[in-house]
Amino acid sequence: MHAPTLPVATGRPAAADWAALALRARWRRVAEQSVLLALLLAVSLPIILPYFWMVVISFTARSGGVAVSVLWTACAVIVPAVIVYCVVHLATRSTRVRLIAAAALLAATVALLAALVGDALHFANYRFLWRPNIVEEIRSKATAGGQFPSVWIAFRNSLALALSETAIILTVALLAGYYVSRFAFRGREAFLQGLLVLHAFPAMTLIIPLFLILNWIGLLDTIVGVMLVLATIELPFYVFVLKGFFDAVPWDIEMSAMTDGATRRQAFRLVVLPQVRVGLIAVGVFAFIRAWEEYIFVRTMLIENTHWVMSLYLYWVSDDIMGVDYGIVAAVSVFYVLPSLLLYVFCQKYLTQMTIGGIRG
Amino acid sequence: MARIELRNVQKRWGEAAAVERIDLAIDDGAFVAILGPSGCGKTTTLLMLAGIYSPTSGDIAFDGARVNDVEARDRNVGIVFQSYALYPSMSVLENILFPLRFAKVGRAEGERRAREIAALVQIEPLLERRPSQLSGGQQQRVALARALVKRPRLLLLDEPLSNLDASLRLTMRTEIRRIQRELGVTTILVTHDQIEATTMADRVVVMNAGGIEQEGTARDLYERPATLFVATFIGSPPINLFDGVAAGDAVTVRDATLPLSSLATGEVVLGVRPESVRANGGGMPARVAAVEPMGREVLYTAECPFGAIRFVEAGADARLREGDHVALDYTPGGVLLFDKASGRRLETRIVS
Repeated sequence: MHAPTLPVATGRPAAADWAALALRARWRRVAEQSVLLALLLAVSLPIILPYFWMVVISFTARSGGVAVSVLWTACAVIVPAVIVYCVVHLATRSTRVRLIAAAALLAATVALLAALVGDALHFANYRFLWRPNIVEEIRSKATAGGQFPSVWIAFRNSLALALSETAIILTVALLAGYYVSRFAFRGREAFLQGLLVLHAFPAMTLIIPLFLILNWIGLLDTIVGVMLVLATIELPFYVFVLKGFFDAVPWDIEMSAMTDGATRRQAFRLVVLPQVRVGLIAVGVFAFIRAWEEYIFVRTMLIENTHWVMSLYLYWVSDDIMGVDYGIVAAVSVFYVLPSLLLYVFCQKYLTQMTIGGIRG
Repeated sequence: MARIELRNVQKRWGEAAAVERIDLAIDDGAFVAILGPSGCGKTTTLLMLAGIYSPTSGDIAFDGARVNDVEARDRNVGIVFQSYALYPSMSVLENILFPLRFAKVGRAEGERRAREIAALVQIEPLLERRPSQLSGGQQQRVALARALVKRPRLLLLDEPLSNLDASLRLTMRTEIRRIQRELGVTTILVTHDQIEATTMADRVVVMNAGGIEQEGTARDLYERPATLFVATFIGSPPINLFDGVAAGDAVTVRDATLPLSSLATGEVVLGVRPESVRANGGGMPARVAAVEPMGREVLYTAECPFGAIRFVEAGADARLREGDHVALDYTPGGVLLFDKASGRRLETRIVS
């Protein structure tokens, strides 16, 4: 029996076309990814470049000026390497090839940098870490008045401020978030709206009253005073964020735990708390970084130089020796930025989920 | 195991009553289903039994002892939620061991009991997994194991099958029934699905708008529904309803007058089950408007002088097509009469 060979009028392409379609799809994907990568590189450049420059200055600058040539040489080596990697990334989908290419490029970049700018690198700008009176050495007298404190005092103060603020915020926001998420009480709606209004209210407007209050209660120029101020200002937002995380935990598992024999507190600790772990980490990291980077309030409320935190230390260093020694200012900046950077890198996957939890609120 | 009693129990949320003065007694070891549409108060009743909610008034008693003020954790009740409510941060084994943490059971003894119960619900190979790595049916078995491991006096099941696909639902129905029989635990199932209720439970309690409409065996509910609500809620395809007026020993529906077995007056509703209508050419003329094959049988909708009427025929005998003219006959004894105002069923029947 012969099948009639009539032309069938359908929208389906003939067999030969499939290959062409697949090729077109592949090219489109490559094109889309290239555009995306180029765009991301372009927008991240203005952010990355200043940081990169800061790091370069801290390792190369010698007393008196900044050598721009090292920056441009480094860029001339690194930028092509990044572009080459992007091309490789687009050209292959094999993870192995990508890894090998990345390793090779990294090795080549490091070797080239060592050969081209290796001589210019030195650690002298970081000598503030072990020589406390560096400012006096450069300027012969610190304008901040009196002996310039060791960086480690400022570091310790910053750490104390950031850790205690994190602890306060975590404890209070955790309990308050759970309460407003789970319990009906008179004025709950007003309370929630109040949290948002408080967050929208610019805290700077409170700076004079807060200064006076701290003065009256004898907490002016103490880490505890600043810690209380910062925690108070930040808390409403974090209560709201954690409420969102608690809202996302189903009631069922709590009821289930209670019929299983747990008290409400045990149910909270054993069943609900593990569900909001991500939110706690995110809130903790943000609270820490927020306190670590705080400037305005500490500038206003901490006076004595033994109470300086890192941001104040950086301010006074740059105030005293900017124009004389950029290298040390850059080195202090790198040292200041390092803890929050590390925290960010290690907790990144939790931080990205904070917005998700927040939306549910 | 326990005998459960609800005496005049009421639950109000502010002005609104979720459960309206219900009385219910459940025998030790019985399997009872609470059946009703969503919002009828059945889950509220369940949570009151579990001790999550406390009744606004009335008493709940286990084995004759009032437990109103006993906390959920002290009632020794196992509960399986519709969502299963497994603890996501714990493995299956830890989930099952969770209730034993509070029951002062040693680790070794606990593990032994957990494995025993895991064998009963057939989830032994899954003990090390996380709940998120399980299918719906497996999660349900874990939830059941967790509810049973502490040997509860009362097992509560809240819509346990509604998140499963059809074939799994059938398996779990028999499975839950088997486990309940094996353990002899007093069990209350809450569901909106009449098939689930009638196939699994010994007795069915139909709830509506916070109150109990009727309590009885599946057969009672089907053949002698106490109210119009029960008659329409039980039975699939649903019962046919026609308005009529009773006057003395006869009821008038449209133009037809039908004799009654005993005296009745006022507006009534006649209920005719689709199964008791036949197209054997006997009586009332009708025209087939829709044909819906449902596998074993075919559901017809026909236009008759009383209005639209549904009836079924066995699939093998089904010959009718849309537009066919037929004559319908019915079993007079199968017609139920309800008082229209109160919704209650009248004892009178239609006689031929």
